[in-house]
Amino acid sequence: MNFDPCMKHKLVRRTVRGFAEAELGPIAHEIDREARFPWEVIEKMRPLNFFGLQVPKEYSGADLDSISYAITIEELSRVSGAVGLCVTVHNSVGVFPLLKFGTPEQKRKYVPLLATGAHIGAFCLTEANAGSDASNVETLAVLRGDKFIINGTKIFVTNGGVCSLPLVFAMTDPEVPGGNASVFIVEKSMPGFSVGEIEDLCGMRANPVSSLFLEDTPVPRENLLGHTGEGIKIALATLDAGRIGIAAQAVGIGQAAFEASVKYSKERQQFKKPIASFQSIQNSLADMATELDAARLLVYRSCALRDAGRPFGKEAAMAKLFSSTIASRAASDAVQIHGGYGYSREYDVERFFRDAKVTEIYEGTSEIQRIVIARTVINEPL
Amino acid sequence: MIVCMKQVPMVTELPWDAQTGTLKRELAEGMMNPACRHALEAALQIKQEHSGHITAITMGPPMAEEILHEAIALGADRCLLISDRTMAGADTLVTSFVLARAIEIFCPDFDLVLAGCHTTDSETAQVGPQLSEELNIPGIANVDTLHLKNRRLRIQREADNFLETLEMDLPGLITVSTLNHIPRYTALAGLQDAFDEPNILAVGARDLGIDEDSLGLSGSPTRILDVFSPRSEKKSTVLTGAPKRIVEHLFDRYGDVIGSAIRKDLKKEL
Repeated sequence: MNFDPCMKHKLVRRTVRGFAEAELGPIAHEIDREARFPWEVIEKMRPLNFFGLQVPKEYSGADLDSISYAITIEELSRVSGAVGLCVTVHNSVGVFPLLKFGTPEQKRKYVPLLATGAHIGAFCLTEANAGSDASNVETLAVLRGDKFIINGTKIFVTNGGVCSLPLVFAMTDPEVPGGNASVFIVEKSMPGFSVGEIEDLCGMRANPVSSLFLEDTPVPRENLLGHTGEGIKIALATLDAGRIGIAAQAVGIGQAAFEASVKYSKERQQFKKPIASFQSIQNSLADMATELDAARLLVYRSCALRDAGRPFGKEAAMAKLFSSTIASRAASDAVQIHGGYGYSREYDVERFFRDAKVTEIYEGTSEIQRIVIARTVINEPL
Repeated sequence: MIVCMKQVPMVTELPWDAQTGTLKRELAEGMMNPACRHALEAALQIKQEHSGHITAITMGPPMAEEILHEAIALGADRCLLISDRTMAGADTLVTSFVLARAIEIFCPDFDLVLAGCHTTDSETAQVGPQLSEELNIPGIANVDTLHLKNRRLRIQREADNFLETLEMDLPGLITVSTLNHIPRYTALAGLQDAFDEPNILAVGARDLGIDEDSLGLSGSPTRILDVFSPRSEKKSTVLTGAPKRIVEHLFDRYGDVIGSAIRKDLKKEL
């Protein structure tokens, strides 16, 4: 067991950190305030392979291992949670299902478009009455001739406002409630497809999370991903991988909150001493550092299992549950350490506080992660 | 083309020992020296315009291999890692001697050697010029811009307050300043390639046919008496009087300083 990062992982971290600090650092605060998607930075990220992190070279990707992927998301999120979110969602749930379940034709046609960042991806599962309960999806896809006609409304779609090749989760058998869940590759230009208003969310404000409408949208039969009825299987496989990304994102946000806290507590003087000299502040910093370290190790372990081709669902759920919980706590403590300034929108820690919270909610809530973990541990031999 | 580069401790994370004023090297993360990054960028731009082949060379401990992977990720074609315990403690003279021997053996047909103008850890700026002497080729230090035509390199550099234009026939050596040739970002696919197909040759003193006695600390005539971090002090002067007088005063006393910082001749501007 070796806990030292290898040369490649060190270089990936330094490369992404350098890019994020130079390009996102100066605007991270502003794009949050203005809820603006930074297209100018996305433009620079495209040729650097941020949109095809684990895509094989033959489809124009970087073909990175999972730990490199996690480090990339962590470092982007350390500077801008919203951009980290765009990249992780695009890569994990936007591109990965195509690679895993797509036909050779689908992969050839669509994966390079996503891997080069020419198109931004999204995974549209959540609806007004379906979130954690994926079987309750009401969007319908009815086969007419060689096309599926899709009708439905998706909500809280990460990258919704900017995606142009979303994967849409829909039911193909109207007779069976919750039956035959399937996934479709939808092009933004298809008739009846439209983007709703951008959600006014608490955090991740630079990511245009939105609703998506499909009204009699004709989707060619060849755009069905996998087979009809494989939707839940695809969603579950996708979410396992997606959880690693969100866990890495939470570690990145937590790290940012921690670094801000260390810096501030050494500068801020009260009673003629830096507040870092007070034990109560030191306790907070020590807890943050310990929990972040533990979270990071959980994330990298789930990555290593994934790369070894071994089951990693439970480990990814553990990583996601723990990382998001401690990221929220670290960000909350960071606000506390900053006192009144921490509560001010002039400082970054309140952004970390808002951004961290949602990592406990999306890509499977903490409650769902506990179900996933519990199911496995109860059935495992002791 | 040959690009010489050095791994230096990361500037933002320099762990200085406040008591002794020295660098705790064992704690510092390594990175490619910034000026070397500009030198590599200059080589990559020449390669893009005129085609060519880039060999990146570094001399250092085994972990310096890291910057060679980065060089490949950025577009270098092959790399040479010169690493040997006997070379520890080498001064700039020994370093340029070793680099020259390595170049003569492994890349004798080079046209241009590029190096950074100085390193952030020792700041001597000596290895580049010394290397051109060792290789017996012309060398120009501190190059800001360069233009290659018919094997003749035309360069510009700032010298005091002048802009110098020089020409040099190849083969030759330049050290590149950090003013232009802004380094490109490393693409992640390139990074993966750099580890999939590293193309890095590791060589030691024996491969270079160099006698141990002429290496390392024993072969180095330089003796370092003291290394210290520069002390900076802030002194403030309060200008008083009518605004017009304050402005006049400001420009009279600090016009040169402000002008050189913003690269404008304020006396001419006003």
